[in-house]
Amino acid sequence: MNLAIFFLVLGIPLTATICCIFIQRRWVFQATTITATALTAIAACILAVMVFVNTSVSAQGGFFYADALSAYVILIVTGSALVVAIYSVGYLDRQVSDGKIDPKILRLYFVLLNLFHSTMLLVLLSNNLGIMWIGIESTTLATAFLVAFYDRESSLEAAWKYVIISSVGITLALFGIILTYYSGLNAVHTSADALNWTTLMSVAQKLDPSILKLAFVFVLIGFGTKAGLAPMHTWKPDAYAEAPAPVTALMAAGLVNVALYAIIRFYILVNKSVGTTFAPTLLITFGLLSMAVALPFILVQKDVKRLLAYSSVEHVGIIAFALGLGTPLGYFGALLHMLNNAIVKLVMFLAVGNIRIAYNSKIIRRITGAIKIVPASATLLFIGMFALTGWPPFGLFVSELTIATAGFGSGNIFPTVLFLFLVAAVFVGLISYVSEMVFGEPPANARAGEPSVVSIIVLTGLLLISVVLGTAMPGTLFEFLQKIVTVLKG
Amino acid sequence: MVDANTASHLIDIFAATILVTAFLIVSSRSLLFYVRLFALQSLLLGMVALLVVVGYGESHILIAAVLTILIKAIAIPVALNRIIKKIEVQKEIALSINIPLSLLICGALMIVASSVAEPILAAQHQTTQTVSRVLPSSIAMMLIGLFIMMTRKKGVTQIIGLLTMENGLFLSGLAITYGMPLIVEVGIFFDIMVAAMILGVFVFRINQTFETINIDELRSLRH
Amino acid sequence: MSDTLLIIASALVQLCIVLIGAPLIAGIIKKVKARMQNRKGAPVLQPYSDLNKLLKKEVILSSSSSWVFRATPYIVFTSILLIALLIPTLIVPVSLHWIGDIITVVYLLALGRFFTALAGLDTASAFGGLGSSREMSIASIIEPAMMLAIVASAVTAGSTDLSVIVSSLVSSPVSLIHPAHMLAFIGLFIVTIAETGRIPVDNPETHLELTMIHEAMILEYSGRYLAFIEWASQMKLFLFLALLSNMFFPVGIATSVTAAALIVGAVSLLAKVVVLAVVVAVIESTNAKLRLFRVPELLMVAFILSLLALILYFIIGG
Repeated sequence: MNLAIFFLVLGIPLTATICCIFIQRRWVFQATTITATALTAIAACILAVMVFVNTSVSAQGGFFYADALSAYVILIVTGSALVVAIYSVGYLDRQVSDGKIDPKILRLYFVLLNLFHSTMLLVLLSNNLGIMWIGIESTTLATAFLVAFYDRESSLEAAWKYVIISSVGITLALFGIILTYYSGLNAVHTSADALNWTTLMSVAQKLDPSILKLAFVFVLIGFGTKAGLAPMHTWKPDAYAEAPAPVTALMAAGLVNVALYAIIRFYILVNKSVGTTFAPTLLITFGLLSMAVALPFILVQKDVKRLLAYSSVEHVGIIAFALGLGTPLGYFGALLHMLNNAIVKLVMFLAVGNIRIAYNSKIIRRITGAIKIVPASATLLFIGMFALTGWPPFGLFVSELTIATAGFGSGNIFPTVLFLFLVAAVFVGLISYVSEMVFGEPPANARAGEPSVVSIIVLTGLLLISVVLGTAMPGTLFEFLQKIVTVLKG
Repeated sequence: MVDANTASHLIDIFAATILVTAFLIVSSRSLLFYVRLFALQSLLLGMVALLVVVGYGESHILIAAVLTILIKAIAIPVALNRIIKKIEVQKEIALSINIPLSLLICGALMIVASSVAEPILAAQHQTTQTVSRVLPSSIAMMLIGLFIMMTRKKGVTQIIGLLTMENGLFLSGLAITYGMPLIVEVGIFFDIMVAAMILGVFVFRINQTFETINIDELRSLRH
Repeated sequence: MSDTLLIIASALVQLCIVLIGAPLIAGIIKKVKARMQNRKGAPVLQPYSDLNKLLKKEVILSSSSSWVFRATPYIVFTSILLIALLIPTLIVPVSLHWIGDIITVVYLLALGRFFTALAGLDTASAFGGLGSSREMSIASIIEPAMMLAIVASAVTAGSTDLSVIVSSLVSSPVSLIHPAHMLAFIGLFIVTIAETGRIPVDNPETHLELTMIHEAMILEYSGRYLAFIEWASQMKLFLFLALLSNMFFPVGIATSVTAAALIVGAVSLLAKVVVLAVVVAVIESTNAKLRLFRVPELLMVAFILSLLALILYFIIGG
């Protein structure tokens, strides 16, 4: 029974990948992708229910493992994948008819999209730290050609930077994993088990603290590169700007959370073994650094997708900061922020995608008067900007408030003050850009009319969810998050 | 066949030679020489893995050892050579730091690696850890690979730098843990191979759009 | 009394071997190079005839030269003789080993180099100055590399006295295959090529302005002065090759003053030095001379390899 659910969650996207390789007709592979993501989302819900009831689910002798944390991130990832899949169909069709993309490589897109989805799920479902690593490296490989999808100079440059920087980071992370394995071998008898997270957690007291500290540093730097923590974030603006809008959305909503998940797993382990001052301090430092580094770039941005990319860096920093606070409230805020950030990023990137199709440009200065050209998307963008910067009644307000409270409550006064300052500063910057884009006179070559009605419906739905999360969080979600906090405490 | 003592002696010699190849890569100016040095490095690495298998009886690395030799020592260098010839790129490397200074920095990196390795080695519990003497060399290789990537400007050299880092990583895995479980090692291998392939394709396409694989020219994307 | 006699005798024997063997090795190298270039080449014993000829020839001195010019050949020759007394060639321990150790050797070499450079400047000819400046700039990198290479081997033995180093290696042959040792060998080999002015660092047979370093400094010498200088550089090459072979493969070296041991020692020395000489000749024939500004790169490789040897010795231990 347990094994079945794992196979479903992982196997459906994989099967879709393989099928899409062989399918020739466009509507068939599009439909396959959407069906696959929908089915996976359903399977993820089932998994979540199972975890809710049983605290944790595992199969195949501990090879697959899911607890509340995994289920939560899986839900976020599969949900994002579903939204992105639906959006991709309309977006890419439009790009093909505009002549931007060769229809022959459309199939490649969907194959890679499904592959991307599967590799992310592999990370989230495995207990073995080595397999987790393989999953994360595979996400880099799956997205490499997606980032370079438009065969332009700038895309190639962005993809090159992306693959190189990610690979360097991941190699360092692997060294950290080797060190963890090494310390595990000294404490566990069967060598194959020493890479399992659950096994390591059970012998955490016997693990050598100095080695684990060193390992954590490497892992944080390595997986932090994938998440986009400063100063390893330099690939993000380029890659996000050059990739097609749905790919960027999935990376910002899905991949970021997957990388954070990996960091969190190690974080829990190191906290249990080393004590609670080392790792949290690191996380707070990197978190604040990311927020600080993102700030000036947000304020002087010319390209709207790069702007959103730096916003992603900032939010990853916020999540890291919240995790580093170390209190249950901080953890709660971090988890909530992961969900809210994913939702808002999806809305923003996909709305920008619509605008881009209408204006054929990403440069902010060239996009004006959007309200007249693509009124629905423009409204979404405008409202979404409020959501992104943490206004009530949207969800991000609640999570940032929670984090700030946790910060003051845990005694980290100065860092929390810094945190609030940075959040406020970003808010100011973003608002001015968006007003520029939404209001004013549109240029002559803009094409009026919404590219995709379906996307408007979906995005509006997402914004509504964000409102719900910001005002009246459902009790089940609250309980679920509390279960995750228990996991995080070790 | 081979006893642990001879094996560890041979491993010492091979590991030192591997490190020397890394230094020689830093000291050289010719792209084709880089690729040859890398092939030699990977071959020696595969042989170290084989020695661990026969000398210490850790048979699960056998597949990894064979894969190292087949893929990293043969397949990838052949592919790289073909890319270099097809691109008809200038066979000389552009450096951002000159060679004597680079070599000195790598020497310093070696010292850094030894100090990083010290606490790790101090925490050993198992008795027959003679292979772990190789750890400082392997960490040094990782650092040198990173250095190569940061200071050499051609696309192919960055690929070789990355692969050198991976070699160092594999060696360090051998040193302190006798390699990771089989499925993990195979997965890592597969990933590295695909990454190298993807980067190779990119180098090719970059050359077709830029007419050079000098990374310095990729400056169009600024802040 | 007989002890002192023994000491003096064995010292003299060592000196003779070096004095007589050096031109032979130079001849062998030239012959091998000629063969590799498909020429017949001069006979192997040609250097002896050359030295003989030079000793009888007239000396021409530049009018602007001073006593430095006239003294240098003797200073260089004597310093090399002193080095010959210190490096274990036939017997270990060398009877006069208490005179000095490796550091003394390096300084003696530096002394010779210093005076040769001065002599090059002394003649007020442009070529001499050119050679001197090139030589000094290369020397500034050779010396650290040489010191480090030798120290890397000295650390194993725990002493800088050459005889002690070689004796300890003879008694524990296992340390011969230590990677640190092998790396030090490569480092010292590169230093040898640089110090004795062979291709790819310097061409000993050229007189082209663009390419000469050592030759430029001694361009103005003639007659017996030139003989001494030539002999000294041949002995330097012989001694370096002997050092390389005995410090890294001290097989067959005599450890006691018995006739059998001495003969075995002489034969093995000759064999090892000849093999190394052939290797040098092959390297000379198969490489092109490096452009001058590339030489520091090569020497830096030697430096780093020696550094690596040192570090590896401390890591791997013993």
